[in-house]
Amino acid sequence: MASIVVVDDEADVGDAIRRVLEHSGFEVRAVNDAEAGLRAIEERPPDIVVTDVIMPRMNGLELVKILRTRFPRVRVIAISGGGSLGIQTYKPDAISTHAYLAAVREVGAQEILTKPFDMDELLAAVRRQLPN
Amino acid sequence: MERVINSLRGRLLAVVLLINAALAPLLYLGLSRIVEEGYADLFVNSVRSYSRMVADQLEAVPSQDFAARSQDVLDDFAVSGLVVFAQIEDGTKRVRSAVSQLPAPGRGEDFHFHEHSDQAYYISHSVKRDDHEVVLRLGFDETPTLEQIAAAKRRVLAAVLAFALVSTVLAIALSRVIARPVVRLREAAKRIARGEVSTELLQHSSIAEMRELSHHLEHMRRELVGTSERLQSEIREREASEGKRLELERRLQHRERIATIGTLAGGMAHEFNNIMTPILLYSQLALNGTAQNGALASDLKRIVAAAHRARSLVNRILTFSREMDSQEARVFTLAPTVAEALALVRAIMPANIEIVVDPLEDTPPVSGDPGQLHQVVVNLCLNAYHAMRVAGGRLTLRLGAAEHAGKGGARERYAMLQVADTGHGMEPAVMQHIFDPFFTTREVGEGTGLGLSVVHGIVTSMGGSIQVESAPGRGARFTVLLPVATALEPAATDVA
Ligand SMILES: Nc1ncnc2c1ncn2[C@@H]1O[C@H](COP(=O)(O)OP(=O)(O)O)[C@@H](O)[C@H]1O
Ligand SMILES: [Mg+2]
Repeated sequence: MASIVVVDDEADVGDAIRRVLEHSGFEVRAVNDAEAGLRAIEERPPDIVVTDVIMPRMNGLELVKILRTRFPRVRVIAISGGGSLGIQTYKPDAISTHAYLAAVREVGAQEILTKPFDMDELLAAVRRQLPN
Repeated sequence: MERVINSLRGRLLAVVLLINAALAPLLYLGLSRIVEEGYADLFVNSVRSYSRMVADQLEAVPSQDFAARSQDVLDDFAVSGLVVFAQIEDGTKRVRSAVSQLPAPGRGEDFHFHEHSDQAYYISHSVKRDDHEVVLRLGFDETPTLEQIAAAKRRVLAAVLAFALVSTVLAIALSRVIARPVVRLREAAKRIARGEVSTELLQHSSIAEMRELSHHLEHMRRELVGTSERLQSEIREREASEGKRLELERRLQHRERIATIGTLAGGMAHEFNNIMTPILLYSQLALNGTAQNGALASDLKRIVAAAHRARSLVNRILTFSREMDSQEARVFTLAPTVAEALALVRAIMPANIEIVVDPLEDTPPVSGDPGQLHQVVVNLCLNAYHAMRVAGGRLTLRLGAAEHAGKGGARERYAMLQVADTGHGMEPAVMQHIFDPFFTTREVGEGTGLGLSVVHGIVTSMGGSIQVESAPGRGARFTVLLPVATALEPAATDVA
């Protein structure tokens, strides 16, 4: 049974993803920030990491970079809401999430999903990354 | 009247008339006096020599029979008509000519002509006889001389009057000659004051001072006209640059507004998408766990459908905020992209709208994202469609090249895209706001008000500009100018 780590600072989003994946029979661990995600991965490397890109403190981009060097076999699905960094950090020259997503793909994420995605899209992306 | 008196000509004339009025009587009186005196002298002289002649003749009369003989002499003279009285006094004896028309005067002798009002001039002369002297008294008629004097005076009067008349006429003529250049100068000055500043002030006049004056004035006028033209062109330049500055400011403000709203929309979309994700996932999850035909399932399907609609709405808003993103730019020509967009547009246009495409000639290459340009064309065409939906009309698409001064003044080349329609057009008040995000005149739910701000954002991000010409009922024409890509165009700003 494939194991998946879900990293999203939005608990609602992370939980929903976890519920969908569990429902489809995956073993899922969900955490709320990149550091916790890294710890979970170090503890027991999963097959797939589903991570938000824009998060406080360590962002998804850095997490993916670390994974690429230390856990090259782990597959990464990057997710992000469209739009900009979010209202809290709003500034006129805010880098858009598209730029982030493009960068994440650049450093080695295998899949990009923009929120809101539906169940089918999520499961299709996960299945594409599973070795069988 | 007052004007006439105060005018230069009036003054000149008045002076001449005054001089005439004072001079003519004086002249008349003086000349009359001279004439009178001349005649009087002549009269007195001739009278005296005449009486001496009489006295000489009387002296020659022999002594015997003197009385009778002298009477004859006197009568002879008296008959000549000049003498109106002749008498010889010898002691108490008097011999008087019978021809005498006047009585013996009560007085002795006149010294001046016309001394008395009796129109006779009396003169006494002593005549030597052998042993004693007798007195000859003669009286002469003054009337003919008086008449001559009167006639002479009339001639003098006529001459003086003629002089006055001629001098007045001359004065009128002269005043005209003097006043003419002044009057012309005044007329020219009036015209200049009215704004015909190119009116010449130079006057041809035989009066040197007039010539000089008009010369100086003309010189002054040229200087002033030159100065005012310089000032006016300076003012025009300043107005133009002020207009340019305002235009730039307006564009900057517009960009800022779009950027702000765009960023806000982007931020909101981000949050919104985070919220939409669990809604979509949980409702689909729930749907999977229920009997597919139940009422719950159909409710959940509605939630999923609504969430999908919400997602597409957010995507539309994002299209707008995304124009702030740096897209991957490449060099491309307009024609293929426009043709592609046109195919889409044709698909939705109803039959009452005619599509006219000026041959999509090859335009100079531009730099940017062809997908975005696609969006520009579609948005402009959709707006045209909406403007003509009810009444029908014609949509015209045109590509071309343009050239005009860019920043720095150097001429820059542009690729041009024009979309024109014959729809309902716009009021100026609407036109002012069409590029503002969320500005729409369409029904709630029909228009997003984002179409043109997206277009504007894309065009400006490509370094181009967009212009609109429209009037109510006269359709609208949007002209997009995009700078021609140079071979060494740097790639779009880096992403990471
Ligand atoms: N071709 C046109 N003819 C007349 N009005 C136009 C045209 N294009 C745009 N407009 C006006 O500009 C407004 C804003 O256009 P847009 O930004 O595309 O938003 P929307 O189309 O959603 O209203 C329109 O509501 C309309 O009033
Ligand atoms: Mg529109």
